[in-house]
Amino acid sequence: MTTPPTTSAQPRRTVTLTETGPATRGTRRDEVVIAVSPAFAGHFTRTIVDVPHAEVLRQLLAGIEEQGVAARIIRVRDTADLAAISHTGARLSGSGICVGILSRGTTMIHQKDLARLSNLELFPQSPLLDEPVFRRIGANAAQYAKGESPEPVPTRNDQMARPRWQAKAALLHLKEFECIEPGRGPVEVQPAFELSSTG
Amino acid sequence: MTETQPRRDPQPRHSLRTEILEARPMNLDGFVEEWPEKGLVAMESDFDPAPSVRVEDGRIVELDGRARADFDFMDTFIANHAIDVASAERCTSMPSAQIARMLIDPGASRDEVLAVTRGLTPAKILDVVKLMNVVEIMQGMQKMRARRTPANQGHSTSARDNPIQVAADAAEGALRGFAELETTLGVLRYAPLVAIALQVGAQVGRGGVLTQCALEEATELELGMRGITAYAETISIYGTESVFIDGDDTPWSKAFLASAYASRGIKMRFTSGTGSEVQMGNAEGKSMLYLEIRCILMAKGAGVQGLQNGSISCIGVPGAVPGGLRAVAAENLVASMVDLECASGNDQSFSHSAMRRTARAMPQLLPGTDFVCSGYSAVPNPDNMFAGSNFDTEDYDDWNTIQRDLQVDGGLRHVREDEILQARNKAARALQTLFAQLDLPAITDQEVEAATYANSSNDYPLRDVLTDLKGAQAVMDRGLTGLDLVRGLEAGGFHDVAENLLTVLRQRVSGDLLQTSAVLTADFTPLSAINDANDYAGPGTGYRLAGERWEQLKKLRHVTSATNPETEVR
Amino acid sequence: MDIGNSTTEACVAAIDPDGTVHYLGTDLTHTTGVKGTPDNTAGALTAVRGALHRAGRRAGEVTTVLLNEATPVISGLAMETITETIITESTMIGHNPTTPGGTGLGVGTTVSIDDLAEQEPGSPVVCVVPHGWDFDDTATAVDRAVGRGVDVVAAVLAGDDAVLVTNRLTVPIPVVDEVAAVEKVPLGMLAAVEVAAPGRTIRTLSNSYGLATVFGLDPDQTRHVSPVARALTGNRSAVVVRTPSGDVTDRRIPVGELVLRGAGKSLRVDVDAGADAIMETLARVQPLDDAHGEPGTHVGGMLAQVRDTMADTMADGAADLVEVSDIAIRDVLAVDTFVPAEVRGGLAGEVALENAVALAAMVRTSRSRMQLVADLVSDGLGTATAIGGIEGEMAVSGALTTPGVDRPVAVLDLGGGSTDAALLTREGECSAVHVAGAGELVTKLIDSELALGDREVAEAVKRYPLAKVESFFHIRHEDGTVQFFDEPLPPQVFARVVVLTSDGPVPVPTRHALDHVRRVRREAKRRVFVVNAVRALRQVAPGANLRALDFVVLLGGSALDFEIPDMIADALAGSGIVCGTGNVLGTEGPRNAVASGLVRAYAADSVAAVPDAPAPGLAG
Repeated sequence: MTTPPTTSAQPRRTVTLTETGPATRGTRRDEVVIAVSPAFAGHFTRTIVDVPHAEVLRQLLAGIEEQGVAARIIRVRDTADLAAISHTGARLSGSGICVGILSRGTTMIHQKDLARLSNLELFPQSPLLDEPVFRRIGANAAQYAKGESPEPVPTRNDQMARPRWQAKAALLHLKEFECIEPGRGPVEVQPAFELSSTG
Repeated sequence: MTETQPRRDPQPRHSLRTEILEARPMNLDGFVEEWPEKGLVAMESDFDPAPSVRVEDGRIVELDGRARADFDFMDTFIANHAIDVASAERCTSMPSAQIARMLIDPGASRDEVLAVTRGLTPAKILDVVKLMNVVEIMQGMQKMRARRTPANQGHSTSARDNPIQVAADAAEGALRGFAELETTLGVLRYAPLVAIALQVGAQVGRGGVLTQCALEEATELELGMRGITAYAETISIYGTESVFIDGDDTPWSKAFLASAYASRGIKMRFTSGTGSEVQMGNAEGKSMLYLEIRCILMAKGAGVQGLQNGSISCIGVPGAVPGGLRAVAAENLVASMVDLECASGNDQSFSHSAMRRTARAMPQLLPGTDFVCSGYSAVPNPDNMFAGSNFDTEDYDDWNTIQRDLQVDGGLRHVREDEILQARNKAARALQTLFAQLDLPAITDQEVEAATYANSSNDYPLRDVLTDLKGAQAVMDRGLTGLDLVRGLEAGGFHDVAENLLTVLRQRVSGDLLQTSAVLTADFTPLSAINDANDYAGPGTGYRLAGERWEQLKKLRHVTSATNPETEVR
Repeated sequence: MDIGNSTTEACVAAIDPDGTVHYLGTDLTHTTGVKGTPDNTAGALTAVRGALHRAGRRAGEVTTVLLNEATPVISGLAMETITETIITESTMIGHNPTTPGGTGLGVGTTVSIDDLAEQEPGSPVVCVVPHGWDFDDTATAVDRAVGRGVDVVAAVLAGDDAVLVTNRLTVPIPVVDEVAAVEKVPLGMLAAVEVAAPGRTIRTLSNSYGLATVFGLDPDQTRHVSPVARALTGNRSAVVVRTPSGDVTDRRIPVGELVLRGAGKSLRVDVDAGADAIMETLARVQPLDDAHGEPGTHVGGMLAQVRDTMADTMADGAADLVEVSDIAIRDVLAVDTFVPAEVRGGLAGEVALENAVALAAMVRTSRSRMQLVADLVSDGLGTATAIGGIEGEMAVSGALTTPGVDRPVAVLDLGGGSTDAALLTREGECSAVHVAGAGELVTKLIDSELALGDREVAEAVKRYPLAKVESFFHIRHEDGTVQFFDEPLPPQVFARVVVLTSDGPVPVPTRHALDHVRRVRREAKRRVFVVNAVRALRQVAPGANLRALDFVVLLGGSALDFEIPDMIADALAGSGIVCGTGNVLGTEGPRNAVASGLVRAYAADSVAAVPDAPAPGLAG
């Protein structure tokens, strides 16, 4: 894990996702959809390695914005399957590109024309995803949306992630399943970031 | 609204001891609380079904509280193929304590136990092993293991898929005692070359060692059918219908694949393990062990001779819940008590703590299993393309010493360095010659030299990957078979290695390796549950570490000589 | 059979008593080992057996195996960078971040953002932001300073945050980002930051007088900063810091002299003078006897390395060492190229295209151990073998079986290591030359110029046409045509420049656009094959006059390339030559010429031995 920056003050940000209505298909060619899982920034507030969801979203959004592309966030409520969440987002995305993310941090870049179980880039090892990786994932998604050819974000591997994280990942997966609301369609959400008092 | 708590609150003062304990590698391992409703529980759950069985017209119509109309396909397969209908009602109605007692009672023979277990339902088997503590489980394993002589399996892989490394490490591993050697790839297209290297290295180290290459199922089968590999193991099965379907499979498709291997006289076993279903979020509210018992019976019903289990790649899940390793020991026992060969895990990176890694292996090492590890990393763990094993080459001396301390046979032995260097060098030279004979990418003398003295893939010159991959493709395109390897080795002057490989290939005709728990001894005698049946019947019986084998295991790297204490025993 | 540098070709034929040749089957495989060494045997046997198998014949039926007299020509490659860009005192940031922020020019004193809160209003400030600063915090800090009256005119950031920061500022400023070594930017110095609008390039900092205006330079100082301006040309953004002795130099690396010996003279040429100068000098010492590099210089090392490699590969076992002095370099092809290299002293991993010279050298040894190969083949098949025929003559003879070809005919064998030409005159006289440089040099040029660092990818770029995958259901070919698919393409090729291999599209890992990759590929082929085709044909053409040639037949693996034959034909068209890819025996394409030629020569000889048989006519 990277250490948080120490050169500047470390404001802790929180995020609130407010539902604004059913998610609709985007019309802008230059937008990327971020599709979050049922419990993301709700029941859960951080990934398996304690990266705050606020920071995950900020970095994904920043990566997209830096590339000059627009972003929209939706919440998928009826499944906790990453491929299904990402594909749902991709089909609603004006560019056809979506970043799907589970509460524990597992992330995927999807495209609408791909088979549901396929993907453009997959980051299965959630314990190895930190803020800079989320930024790069956002940037790559935006570049795909622009029709550019980004270098895939290098995936990492750690043999000792299994003893440390395998069971917690399973537990988080089960908890996320609990938050599924069957039969409810995806909703558009508006993020509100706030600086919390840092004590 | 979500809130990100400050990660570092003003901390209460810690004792220096706490700080030391916090810094122990043990605390890098992860642990979770049980959640039985979701199946995140090892083996004791109120949500597992109660045992029941009902037979009508020679057909099981009720299994563990479920009527045939409500069976999922696992129930159907198990009811139709795995349970002896004639004895099912009688056996399942026996008191569980009585069956558990039979398992540990030296007075009850293995055959007598099998006569009962073949009529048990999954829930009944769970009910039986739930009564047993870990020592009793080990006692049961000591008697129920199918083959009398325990053995071990090794991994020989390379982070660079370097065939020369795989050959050299296979030769060393075979010499050290592994009865089976397994490989897999980083770049799958390398498979033909690496599978050949594994086969050649193994036959140089010790004739008769069996090899396999874990790949997607079609290629794995093809390499087996061509005689480039000698057995197959990575055919995964799962305990719930939903997980099976996620993998586009059914018990019948797996059984069909098994029969394809059998048709060519190729040894094969299935793979399963506790934790896989809950890991994928589809445990259907059942305990890990209950679901694993369903897998074991499915394997039994498919007619395969054996099973690799012991959680395998999901070991982090049972490892994190209370009593998890007891459940893992129990799943190995269940495989053995339904008369399957058991390759008993201990094959994945399991813990940051050396003490915990050792403890994890005791329930298999002490009673002995068909393969204590499936497998032990015969390369340094960073080179292990199965994502690391519980033990690797750095642990060789520890393992040998534990065998000697406790007088147990874990399948390995200490080998003098000069013998090892000779075997490694010969394996590399044999592969060099074979590649030249078969017009495959050249191996330089420099690489042979590196292989002789290397530890890891970093110690070898880099290969021209492009040329290697073309060579690997050529193996497939040209239809090379095990016989071509024999011919090339013979033509290249490695007569003994050619002879060894040919003898292994001949086993396909006799079919002896299809018998439960079959391995080949150094003189190519198949050793299986048929001719080396476990005859444990209490103290002084069964496999005993004695005689020549015990003399071998008394040797370590450094043992002071009693005759001349100024020297060491060689 | 013909054992070539990269492929071994075999051809089986039955010969009637009257000399009529019946071709029964052919085969080819890659050559095992270095051409002319015993290692060739394995490949030779494979090819013969393959051809027999196709002919439906057994080895026992073979009367004799004919082997080519392999010209002991092998080739080597070396490449040396001859320029180097160095930045001193961190005066310039000339990298091209993909997403700078804002537009315009800002000139002020460099101040760290950590000190911005204490900065007094007054003079303009360029804010320098180290790693660890969040984009929101950066924007807030700059806005706050501006609110206090500090004139922040530009910013230089470590992270990839320029657009993010600019979007959050009340008053946008030019921002250059991704400056990895931002901590080395000198503080308290006058600096200029310029960002152009998307699709434009900077105007002020890439202009010497612009720099002079910004920094108030006198003519002497202006002369001094002109390399800076040059280095920034074509960038969308740049930062220049004025330090007491900061400098950007573009210096030539002395790589040493090449000594070319031949035609009774010995000429020296500086390698950093470039390919043209080298080739011109080479032309003056034809035919070349040997080439050396000055010992202790780069070029000395280059040629010594080629020679050593040759000695190693020619040697077979310690008892049979080939002396390095035994190996003479008989031809050199120099090609100007460039190598993307990280700039020394750069702050953001700036990359400059440094000039380089690639040398292909062709070595002739006095040894050919074809007899040994022949003996081993004889053992392997249990038949007689004979070595016969000069490779060039055999190739011409084989090429004559191409429909529509007549004497005088020249063949160009476009191989992997060398390009060979042979001419058969109307009178039946044959001459042949070998020149250095062929397919492998093309691969190397593509690899280094595109900074691929992967020979496999470079090889694919050379061999297959390019396309851009524009969606999962369509690609745009390099000629602009669009092709649609019913099934979605695999995800790993999405949005990428791909090569269209026989196994489908394979991504090329590069950020370059398709056009650039295509230009590099075609340019590499032109500089090697077109140049060599002309060079080699001139050497065989009567009076070095290309117009004296009628038919040119292209042979060898590279004659199968999708564009090289056209490029050569275009280059020769002006000389009134019929040029095309050979079709040996009317069926084999540019393959099997030498093997077929050997059979024809053998048939002719056997008939010649019978006095009253009619002389065999030549095909075509």
